Amino acid sequence: MTGGDAITSGGGGMRVGGGSAGTASLQQHGKRLLANVHGAMRALKLYPLENEAVQHAISELQSTVEGILGRGEGLELRVVGEFFFLNDVRLRLDLSNFATFGNVGQALRRHDIGSLEVFQGVAREEWAPFLSLLARDPGEYPLPAFLARLSETPVRSIEPDASAEHGDDLEEEEVLEQAKRTYAQSVKLAKDVLGDVRLGRAVNARKVKRAVQGIVDQVLADEPSIITMTTLRDYDEYTFTHCVNVCIFSVVIGQRLGLERFDLYELGLGALLHDVGKMRIPHEVVAKPGGLTDDEWALIREHPTLGLLQLFQTGAYIDIPYRQMLMAYEHHMKVDGTGYPENRRERQPTLFSRIVMVADGFDAATSVRSYQHRPWGADQVLREMKENPKRGYDPLLVKALISATGVFPIGTLVILDSYELAVVSRTNPDPALLHLPIVKVISDEMGVPIADPVELDLSAAPPDGAHRSILKTTDPQKYGIRVADYLI
Amino acid sequence: MTGDGFSIGEGGLGATLPLDEVQNLVVTLGKALRASQLYDENNPVYKRFVKALSDEFTALWSEMDEIALHVSEDTLTLDGEEVYSSATRSDSLAFLLYKDGLRVVQFEPGFERQVPRFLDVLNQARHAREDDDDLLTLLWEAELDCFQYRYVDLLAEGIDLPEVGLGGDPSEFGQVLEDARAEDDEVVSGEAAAEQPPATVSQDDFNPTLYALDASEMEELRRSVELERDRDVRGAVLDALFDRFEDGDAERRDEVFDILQGLLPAFMARGEISAAARVLKQMRSYETAQVVSESHQERITSLLDRLSDIETLSQLIEAIEVGTIDPDPRDLAAFLGFLRGDALGVLVRATFDTESLDLKRILGGAVETIARRDSDAVRRLLASPDPALSGAAARIIADQRIESAAGGLRDLLTSEHTDVRLAATEAVGALGVPTLLGNVGELLRDPDVDVRIAAARVLGEAGYRAAAPVFRDILSSRTIRNAERREKIAFFESYGRLGDAEAVDLLDKYLNGRGFLGRRESSDIRASSALGLGRIGTPEAMMALDRAHRDDDAVVRSAVTRALQMERRPEVPR
Repeated sequence: MTGGDAITSGGGGMRVGGGSAGTASLQQHGKRLLANVHGAMRALKLYPLENEAVQHAISELQSTVEGILGRGEGLELRVVGEFFFLNDVRLRLDLSNFATFGNVGQALRRHDIGSLEVFQGVAREEWAPFLSLLARDPGEYPLPAFLARLSETPVRSIEPDASAEHGDDLEEEEVLEQAKRTYAQSVKLAKDVLGDVRLGRAVNARKVKRAVQGIVDQVLADEPSIITMTTLRDYDEYTFTHCVNVCIFSVVIGQRLGLERFDLYELGLGALLHDVGKMRIPHEVVAKPGGLTDDEWALIREHPTLGLLQLFQTGAYIDIPYRQMLMAYEHHMKVDGTGYPENRRERQPTLFSRIVMVADGFDAATSVRSYQHRPWGADQVLREMKENPKRGYDPLLVKALISATGVFPIGTLVILDSYELAVVSRTNPDPALLHLPIVKVISDEMGVPIADPVELDLSAAPPDGAHRSILKTTDPQKYGIRVADYLI
Repeated sequence: MTGDGFSIGEGGLGATLPLDEVQNLVVTLGKALRASQLYDENNPVYKRFVKALSDEFTALWSEMDEIALHVSEDTLTLDGEEVYSSATRSDSLAFLLYKDGLRVVQFEPGFERQVPRFLDVLNQARHAREDDDDLLTLLWEAELDCFQYRYVDLLAEGIDLPEVGLGGDPSEFGQVLEDARAEDDEVVSGEAAAEQPPATVSQDDFNPTLYALDASEMEELRRSVELERDRDVRGAVLDALFDRFEDGDAERRDEVFDILQGLLPAFMARGEISAAARVLKQMRSYETAQVVSESHQERITSLLDRLSDIETLSQLIEAIEVGTIDPDPRDLAAFLGFLRGDALGVLVRATFDTESLDLKRILGGAVETIARRDSDAVRRLLASPDPALSGAAARIIADQRIESAAGGLRDLLTSEHTDVRLAATEAVGALGVPTLLGNVGELLRDPDVDVRIAAARVLGEAGYRAAAPVFRDILSSRTIRNAERREKIAFFESYGRLGDAEAVDLLDKYLNGRGFLGRRESSDIRASSALGLGRIGTPEAMMALDRAHRDDDAVVRSAVTRALQMERRPEVPR
């Protein structure tokens, strides 16, 4: 790309915007393809080949494949982490398909298959042997064994390939770089905006929009990378990183709920500004270390109301941001209507407010902040949020968050039953294995640091044959460990 | 160039690039952009340019998979070849793209269908003020499937990326594990005393069914998303403001009040009348509420007064009439119904002036609502120097039987304006105000026929015998013979209602008598007399009617038949 360097130095990196041709149509095709693959695999598992259900499922799959090939662009299905790409279009994950995606992804990964290419002229009869092989035990050398078996079948137009590890690493680096940039820009923006509010200056709405749009794009493009950024806990910048983290987690939950891109933006905007009311509370109270007096607590409890009122001061009543106002106002309101501020009229917090409440609660509890020096473990927080109704979180939204973060979210410091120390680096994409993340082992069982941390999938057979599981989670702060350094 | 399948300038087309066609395309794009600035979307000129541009894109897809243009301040280039340049920036397509950060734009097949939206985005960006959304934000929101771009984010300049550190002090690692082993030993020896052991994994953590969303839960979440879309978020915000106004201190109330005060015109300007009505309703309840301080009550009163004044309402009505806003009729009726009595004049005037029947009906309804609530306002309107308003007030009084306002009618009965006298007369009739019947009697000789008829009917209905001599005098004169038939009927019937002792003789004479040379009265007079006799209803009157029962004149015969069937009214002596 000519001129790329100059651009990078000028504006912090070149970005890509817009959609790709026929993206919407490919999305539909892709989701149907995965659903059909999943359906056919399930049918084959339950019934003999000649069964009507199996035949019907294979016909459906063949019809979808022909529809895609009929576009003249070929058919390449790639699995990267928990995401699928059909001809380079990333298929959008939502509530209606995340389990399907997870199951198909898991089936492919078991055989070390990173991509599938299907050629023009693929016959209906090729699917049953291919899918049956996918369902078999992968054995010691998954992909070579799979390919060997496949060569003995009549399958000629379906070509599996290994995960493009090197390419993926490169891509991962780029994605992570982009995530860093988005995150840093958002934190800077949050600082500027909230600073402007504190000083009573006009807020640059365009900057706010751009930051939220960046986060939405990042979540849609590569959710794990931006979630990884939330592990960058900076006590001094807590107020601002917290706003950005809440924005990220809210958009992540929103995506799981299948919200459209613009709705994700609306949600993200409200989440970013959810604590704007705190800017009207004296800084020495907000940032006071240690306990607060009753009066100070009373003041803190005013921030949702102040946030609502503050948002009226932007925009001079043009395009009044009602949804964002409610997110600021209701994010400490429990699902049963209690919490604060107190309601004099009947009120059920909006879905967006409930999402922000979950994201806010999760990030706040896992962070070091002025009146919480020892944060909770992320897994504990999720468990508490889900199981303790007194906390007032919407349990389904907590589950939606867990479906993205796993039981042990990225950045959780864990001790394995081998007494090795590890940091959770990725969530298991299989929804049935949310409790078995991918970790980076950072020290051996004696506490000796590993120079080049090894990534380990706790759900898979390890190279050394010694299966590990999580013994316990521990507090990185307690030992001065910065988990972000192992992830970013 | 980084991933995303976005490989610009690497097509290897080299010398085969259709440069001329792309140059023409960009020229057409510039023309279409200008056309979109000058004409609206239905204009044939604009449509012609959009079609030309779409056709050029379509034609190019047979030669190129995509069209990727690099953007500089003054030029657009295709694979290093210039396809557009502009010496000035004011009208430059390249600069329009460049100034907001675009550096590469790529059009893909299918873009031809998105041309109007793209032009709209460019137009918005061209006219954007400093605080408006720029091109990047507008493109993001437009979500054009077949248009990709690379950009530098000028807003992100000078941002430091997070730095990676060493991860922590390796000497601590051993301590972590040592602590962990120690905690394990405690658990084994049953000495775990902590109520909530820190950072310990629960058995449940390994039960994925507790964490995964099942089908019914996913369905519930889907429903929540649907509900959220239809949610009245504006109403929820207003409720929040009301809550905080009610329990806030003076400063908080001031702030909330200022917001509500700012919201009202915003709602009205956007036609969000239901929201304005909601605020108005709440304000009215606060106006007299104990919990609200005197100073706030004063502010509320002043606001409600302003909303009902002529300037505000004229603005609203004008906006509705010219179609700037199109509120739901029920919302509008509710809003207007909350206005002060002082709004009556404006609303009444508007009912006369508007040509919209729907609006007329809504305004009429609002007038009724307000009048019913505020009779003092109707009385004040009665005294209006504007005859249209005072007349309307008289009609409101009649329709709603506002007896307390009757006194104000006296002056109107002598108004120089016919409509006012007429309305006042009818109002006196509707209210049955005995003290004003004498004044009405004077209107029996009014220059206007409708007023005379109304006066006759009012007096007849009231059985106001004191007016009998005047009736007799009029019925005996030549004037009545020249009157319209409806006036004759009104006078004869009303006279019949008065129960005057001389009435039967007079009317019998008109019905059955013959004059000089045996000549009878006109059909109209005879028929009207018959109706008058019917109203008297005494045996003598019936006998007179019987005599004309087989009259040769069909008009008379018909009137006699009707008169004989009239319901007899008990006589009310006056």
